[in-house]
Amino acid sequence: MKTIALDAAAMAEAVASGEVSARELLDASLARIESTDGRVNAFTEKTQARARTEADAVDARRAASQPLGPLAGVPYAVKNLFDIEGVVTLAGSIVNRGDPVAASDAFLVRQMQAAGAVLVGGLNMDEYAYGFTTENTHYGPCRNPHDLTCIAGGSSGGSGAAVAAGQVPITLGSDTNGSIRVPASLCGIWGLKPTFGRLSRRGSYPFVHSIDHLGPLADSLAGLALTYDVLQSPDALDPGCQALRVQPIVPLLGRGTAGLRVGVLGGYFHDNASPAAREVVALAAGTLGAHAEVTWPDAALARAAAFIITASEGGSLHLNDLRTRADDFEPLSVDRFIAGALQPVDWYLRAQRFRRVYRDKVNALFRDWDVLLAAATPVSAPAIGTEWLDINGTPQPCRPSLGLLTQPVSFAGCPVVTAPLWPTGTGGLPVGVQLIAAPWREDLVFRAAQVLSDAGVARVQPSQL
Amino acid sequence: MNDTRMLAYVETMAALLKLPLDAARTQRVAVNLQRTAAMAALLEAAPLAAHDELAEIFRPAAFLPNNDGRE
Repeated sequence: MKTIALDAAAMAEAVASGEVSARELLDASLARIESTDGRVNAFTEKTQARARTEADAVDARRAASQPLGPLAGVPYAVKNLFDIEGVVTLAGSIVNRGDPVAASDAFLVRQMQAAGAVLVGGLNMDEYAYGFTTENTHYGPCRNPHDLTCIAGGSSGGSGAAVAAGQVPITLGSDTNGSIRVPASLCGIWGLKPTFGRLSRRGSYPFVHSIDHLGPLADSLAGLALTYDVLQSPDALDPGCQALRVQPIVPLLGRGTAGLRVGVLGGYFHDNASPAAREVVALAAGTLGAHAEVTWPDAALARAAAFIITASEGGSLHLNDLRTRADDFEPLSVDRFIAGALQPVDWYLRAQRFRRVYRDKVNALFRDWDVLLAAATPVSAPAIGTEWLDINGTPQPCRPSLGLLTQPVSFAGCPVVTAPLWPTGTGGLPVGVQLIAAPWREDLVFRAAQVLSDAGVARVQPSQL
Repeated sequence: MNDTRMLAYVETMAALLKLPLDAARTQRVAVNLQRTAAMAALLEAAPLAAHDELAEIFRPAAFLPNNDGRE
């Protein structure tokens, strides 16, 4: 079998040119999963039969000189809250094990299939997406491929780890309060949380209807951009999908950042960042010529409001199961779900009213700035089981605090690319940088990310598994 | 709210929602809710006007691009 050291975009090119077959790429991916996943624990479901059918269909199309999709033959996997036809959608739980299998694929899985991508399985996650660590008690912790004693982040931990381990070059995840950006940061890969309402969520298991986003993670910026373009489509059947047309990003990637106003978030975002996190932000800022410090409005209030809405909607969503089988829930989050269900309604309504005021303040900020930078996580990956973090001398509870820097941004619905950077003093572990723009301006964050990628400042490094 | 009153709130609300909680879980839930109460207090102090509406607005149907009902 061939050893294939290509990133997602190069894989698609190699299949299109006939340099490699989709079946060869799939076999290499499955072999890598087989040899590494006993240690990483990224996968909870493998869909080999489906994958072989999809790969063979790509090879048959090429043999018949039929047009291929932009991701033809590229293996990928999805967080196990995406519906996969014929598979039970676990959403990280054992409560859902008794559910019927999904009758059809999630909307975004169908988009990937139409582009020729090959689905190899479902991925580990925090139960019902309520967590930032993927220390899943039912299915075991997902381990960081750069240090197996450390977490991969969450809640899309399997989505981060599978890419970092070289098992697949692309994954799909979800992000309510940071669940794509945190694992991307801790695993050293690229991640995109698009604008709220950009991508359809139909056929994914919900967590917080008001804030849920879906998006891709990838081993290269080119792969991330290709995937994002493939995923875009209006969907009138998802009430949260507000995009009315596709706005491709790939043609805009090389436009550079000349003329763009790039700033660095200070205050809350600086105070809650460790020296390593500050180091990567400074490196990205230097590369992008960003010198000004910018204050994001009401960051701490936004985090509080996001926390309250998350707990309330999440608790309400699972109330029936919490009544009858609370002991089957994840011990790390079940008490938070119950507490959320008991919150006074005034807390929730006030948080939702605040969100509108907050949205207007954030949008006003982007009248003066095009791209803003902040670390994606306060620290590099903590050891599995860590209860407390020391952030600049202040002890903070580890599991919720990993989302300190992501939560205010997603609450405003802004698009964010997380770029993988590698600070000193972390034992070789990465910390990501968030590139943030105004709603619907994914083009700006991709352009800035391309500059970081071209300079070699942001890059994916192979894991030593 | 002190811890005793928070425990009483959790017990009462859980009963209202028909959520059975044993003593240990009641205690843990109360600790969680106490943390959330601190965040709610932050928001309580943020000014909101009577006209500041909810972020999520019910839409009875998609907006029609023409004012005579034509698609």
